[in-house]
Amino acid sequence: MREPQIAPPKLNVTFAVLGIAFLAIFSWVFFHEEGAEWRSAQSRFRQIEVRVKNPHQLAQAAEVGGLRQIWLPELNRVDRCTTCHLGIDDPAFVNAPAPFTTHPGTWLTTHPPERFGCTTCHDGQGEATDVEHAAHRPTELFDRPMRPLETIEANCGTCHRSLDPPEAPRLAEGRRLIVASGCVSCHDIPGFEGMTFSGPALDSIGNKIRPAWLGGWLHDPKSYLPNSKMADFRLTPNEIASLQAFLLSLRAQLPLDSTGVRWNRANTDAGRALFGELRCVTCHAIEGRGGTMGPELTRIGDKVKRDWLFSFLKDPHRAQPATAMLQYRLTDDQLRDLTAFLLEEYRTGDAGPEPPPAPADPLAIAAGRETFIRRGCASCHHLAGIPDSGHLGPSLAGVADRDPEQLTYGAPGVRRTIENYLFLKLEKPDALVQPSLMPTFHFTPIQAADIALALTGLRKTELPASYVITHDPPPAYTPAGPFGELATRYRCMSCHSVNGSGGTLSTVPFDRIGSQLQRDYIATYLMNPGAVRVSVEARMPVFHMLKDEAQTIATYFDSVFRDAAIDTYDTQFSPADERRGGELYAQFGCAGCHQLNTKGGYVGPDLTDTGRRLKPGWIAAWLASPEKYKPGTLQPDYGLSAADVRALTAYLSGLGRATRTTPVTKPGGPVSR
Amino acid sequence: MMESRPTIRQRIRTEFGRVTKSVMRIGWPQTDKDRAAVMISSIFLHIHPARVSKHALKPSYTLGLGLISAILFGILTLTGLALMLYYVPYPAEAYRSMKDLQFVVTFGVILRNMHRWSAHAMVAVVFFHMCRVFWTGSYKTPREFNWVIGVVLFLLTLLLSFTGYLLPWDQLAFWAITVGTNIAAYAPVVGDQIKFLLLGGHVIGPTTLLRFYVMHCVLLPLAVVMLVSLHIWRVRKDGLSGAIRVDTPVAEKGGAFPASTKTYGLMALTRRPSASVDARDPNDEVFAWPHLLYRELLVTVAVIVALHTVSLLFMAPLESIADPTRTPNPAKAPWYFLGLQELVSHSAFIGGVLVPGLIVLALVALPYLDRGTQGSGRWFAPERRVANTIYTAVVIVAVILTIIGTFFRGPNWGWVWPW
Repeated sequence: MREPQIAPPKLNVTFAVLGIAFLAIFSWVFFHEEGAEWRSAQSRFRQIEVRVKNPHQLAQAAEVGGLRQIWLPELNRVDRCTTCHLGIDDPAFVNAPAPFTTHPGTWLTTHPPERFGCTTCHDGQGEATDVEHAAHRPTELFDRPMRPLETIEANCGTCHRSLDPPEAPRLAEGRRLIVASGCVSCHDIPGFEGMTFSGPALDSIGNKIRPAWLGGWLHDPKSYLPNSKMADFRLTPNEIASLQAFLLSLRAQLPLDSTGVRWNRANTDAGRALFGELRCVTCHAIEGRGGTMGPELTRIGDKVKRDWLFSFLKDPHRAQPATAMLQYRLTDDQLRDLTAFLLEEYRTGDAGPEPPPAPADPLAIAAGRETFIRRGCASCHHLAGIPDSGHLGPSLAGVADRDPEQLTYGAPGVRRTIENYLFLKLEKPDALVQPSLMPTFHFTPIQAADIALALTGLRKTELPASYVITHDPPPAYTPAGPFGELATRYRCMSCHSVNGSGGTLSTVPFDRIGSQLQRDYIATYLMNPGAVRVSVEARMPVFHMLKDEAQTIATYFDSVFRDAAIDTYDTQFSPADERRGGELYAQFGCAGCHQLNTKGGYVGPDLTDTGRRLKPGWIAAWLASPEKYKPGTLQPDYGLSAADVRALTAYLSGLGRATRTTPVTKPGGPVSR
Repeated sequence: MMESRPTIRQRIRTEFGRVTKSVMRIGWPQTDKDRAAVMISSIFLHIHPARVSKHALKPSYTLGLGLISAILFGILTLTGLALMLYYVPYPAEAYRSMKDLQFVVTFGVILRNMHRWSAHAMVAVVFFHMCRVFWTGSYKTPREFNWVIGVVLFLLTLLLSFTGYLLPWDQLAFWAITVGTNIAAYAPVVGDQIKFLLLGGHVIGPTTLLRFYVMHCVLLPLAVVMLVSLHIWRVRKDGLSGAIRVDTPVAEKGGAFPASTKTYGLMALTRRPSASVDARDPNDEVFAWPHLLYRELLVTVAVIVALHTVSLLFMAPLESIADPTRTPNPAKAPWYFLGLQELVSHSAFIGGVLVPGLIVLALVALPYLDRGTQGSGRWFAPERRVANTIYTAVVIVAVILTIIGTFFRGPNWGWVWPW
């Protein structure tokens, strides 16, 4: 029936070979699909589960099977990590091997996976279902591989926008350095909006500075001040010379007040005594010891001119309206002695008499002005006639999402990641691209890494508002009226704060000070501030304040900074309360830290005059919950009952009173018993 | 007893036969004549002739390139349909569906890989098919117009691949289409309008994606199906190039098939008698079934095996999600346009307008300019030395430019060595 020639045998062989290949390739396709990594991971998990859990738990445990994912539409994320990391939220797997082990710490409680997923914190490709594509390690396949634990804090910063997020010390340090180094003067940095960083105004710097000093400072500020706020701008000798000529020609603003001063009658010993009395070291360090709010004074004699220093001490705010320094109420003689002492005592050698101002070369001045503008000096230094150069550097918004391949790394073979770029840039700004306007900050590698880490939290995509945790800086507090004038003159807000706005040097905010301290005590204290707590190094300066001024401030405090919750305390104490309070004082060992009639420890404030110093309501409030008013205080919270608080309050508010209604148990008596 | 056993078997056979018969009216053909009749009467098979010349059957003559193109188009249609089940033509979703295909869809990886590599292969195979037709002089009378259709099909293939290139919405896609549409904008007078029409705006965005999606999945495939049908139909109806010895429709030959005296306009596009075997040597021919069909089956299986192998071994690229603010350096068009991009880098007018315009024009006009009938049906016939030399030179230049654009061009389109 069949006709003979159907196909040549050669084609039949081909057909057979192709047919087998066809079957083989299809089996391969099925094998490829069925042999997916996550399937074998899940079967290994089941074996471990049997070992880890008892039969009852096993019966209750959900059957593991198939792909699992956390879908976060708000964050535009799909995390399939839990397909393999099956024991991540189950404490039973705490000793199980990777990838089944339980998540360490309490992170999953504070950051529930159903809200945050996995890659929000860890990075990596959440959509992937195999180890390689998930980018557990840096890989060609994915831009944002998982972060190692050392740098994971960068991702904390994406949501936690406050300046120093808790539990992220590196991030907090990075952000602190960003503020302290003045990065915000040249760069637009999200999260640091509104922050300013400024150096002194330069309008009359020609009157202020000794020419010899200026060259060295411009060449390397750290050589004069190791903690200099100003960075090294890597100026060329020509630039330094022209800047010097330009700056020294600036003597516009300040009419000097020292014309009538008889310098030959200066008494440096009186100056030295004044220096101690005024507590200058609270803000200015000498030989590295002392405060950091003002510049170190160790070599002030090399730097400034005598007449300028005199004028500055007399009225710092005229020359530098933005300075944190207060205006002491001193006589011209006192100012002369202090000036002479400072210049005599704190210098490296005899700088000799001040040279007469050299005739300036107009060309050099013009060149210096050009350099001044070009290098963005006006970003930090005010100078009339030269506009603020603003943000000379690029905006750092979304810097973490810039393409690392498009950046210049300066050298071949460098790891091309944003973080590494930032690190290198911070360490040596001129090593990557030349010329670079960015100054050298001489960061240590750790500092540079911390700043880089803080910057790599700056993502381009905006998070839903519900994920952002932010603490807006409090609105600046500027008091008005007579108190305002005094607060400005004495720069109260340099150290004290109101509603979180102001300085942090003082441990006493003004918020409720009128409810804490008695009016008369405040007035007396301001006239001659002493150490309430001798263990605290930073002390309130002695202002040489007038009596009227002290009264004004005390009255203002007493009428404005009040806390109703404290004021309403019932101050009609019974003698029994007072007696019991004395017993409690001994019982709790208060004398371990507090002085009372020259007996006791030196940690807390001297309590001898408490009755004249504190208001009873405040004593009660403080004893009941010290942490509420001063987080981190050394004062223990004894969990006192209201009755005990009342007893102690009665006792303490009786201390130091001129007139006593009841005899008081002798302090120290119960201790010896 | 004796009757019951055969009865069951016979009944099954009869029932089966009845079903078979209802499907295939004349049953499984047993003779050459029957098979020839099937070839004519089956809607799927009738694009084949009943008998084919042994010469045309030789693999070394056609290399099966036209067939492979068609097979690839079939595979692309099937895998494309499957991919459409997962694909959302909206920017971020489009990219996510790629990730889903890669990581969670069963057989998703192989599906996407197959589609990707088939698409690239099709561009190459269609191009080689065109070269083969030229080098064997097969565009000559009476196939002039079929060559023109072929040129259009080649352009459609490029467009199909190009429109599909954008759909994954990754960096590669985004910037390749940016470069590609910028080349289109160099067209004189209407360049910017063409670009605007393609993109649905001035820059690539959601509208562009939707447009490319519709073009890629509906418009262009429909056009290709139409033109491929026409292309094959005319291969069949026009007869062999240079083999014309009879200029008028001839009377019926051999008695099996009625000769047509109809002539057609553009719609049916043939002056030749249907199922013509006129003026051909019957001894030089064999029946299409089995000789042609069997070979086609083998080639199909071979293509499927090869594609699966490639798809299992090589992953289709997928870069990070398209980001208009992050321009890769260099941004490159799809590889088949890199020759043009290389030219554009030297002169936008030459690369974007002059050369591609002239090439298309020359290809379309070719069969009407080269009117000699000599040298058809053989590779590199000496009679066609001049034509072949010119064409080969152009092809070599195009290939070299493409290779340069692909491998030797780095950041800022500067010269780099690929090793």
